[in-house]
Amino acid sequence: MKFLRHLTAVVLTVAVIVGLGMLWAHASGGGAGIGSGLRQAPSGKALLRLQQIRAGVIRVQSDNGLNLVDTSDLIRTCEIEAALAAVVITVSAIRRRHRRMRRTATRT
Amino acid sequence: MKAGPTTSPADLPVTASRRRILARTRLDFWLDALLLVAYTLAYSLGFTGVATHEWLGIGLGVVLLVHLTLHWDWVIRTTGKLLHPGGRERFIWLVNLLLLVSMTLCIASGILISEVALPELGITLTASSFWRQMHDTTATLTLILVPVHAALRWRWIVGVARRFAAWRPGRSR
Repeated sequence: MKFLRHLTAVVLTVAVIVGLGMLWAHASGGGAGIGSGLRQAPSGKALLRLQQIRAGVIRVQSDNGLNLVDTSDLIRTCEIEAALAAVVITVSAIRRRHRRMRRTATRT
Repeated sequence: MKAGPTTSPADLPVTASRRRILARTRLDFWLDALLLVAYTLAYSLGFTGVATHEWLGIGLGVVLLVHLTLHWDWVIRTTGKLLHPGGRERFIWLVNLLLLVSMTLCIASGILISEVALPELGITLTASSFWRQMHDTTATLTLILVPVHAALRWRWIVGVARRFAAWRPGRSR
């Protein structure tokens, strides 16, 4: 019951964020997507692209999943994440040590 | 399950409560790890390809909802304490809020510009350049915020990982 209550709150929060995004898109004139896309027919360009995807002219890897040969993207993502995490952990550790030293100095 | 010889009836609720906390900690840990791995994979478009990228993104959205629901108590508690002094929790709250907004918009815009997943479900949307730009920007912002979000709780991560490493079946630690 509590889980459902919390889930409702989360879904509402997410809906508000998406709604604000839609408003932003609308205000900046780029509101195509759910609002207009579901009511209007897709553009000729989009239909052509879809037909090309279905006919296999445009390769989108919808069947065989992971491209295990091209790991450079994955490695780069991991490197960025590791570097940022390392910076935050180092800063956090230094701050913790400073706080502990200050506390020890106050006591003595 | 057999109780040990030293277990008294008074200990039973404590053990049950500890077991519940441990199960919840385990769920949090593995769900968080799943989110981190899924996001890392989803961001690496060259590795996954468009189809896997899109399905992974949709799955990420569902897991994100569960993650947020499980931590909603923390959100309420910390939001209520925002006016009190204490910089660290406030900073974590701000990072988490930014991450929530950025990840939500990233997934929503990803769905709106979907080229494989939605057409496979029979839905076609006309993607605008606004949503493409939004997807790129929020994905990059999320890539910065995800490791920061995880690293701000690194002591909890290390503590739980250590406890799991020391855990043996049959022992309730």
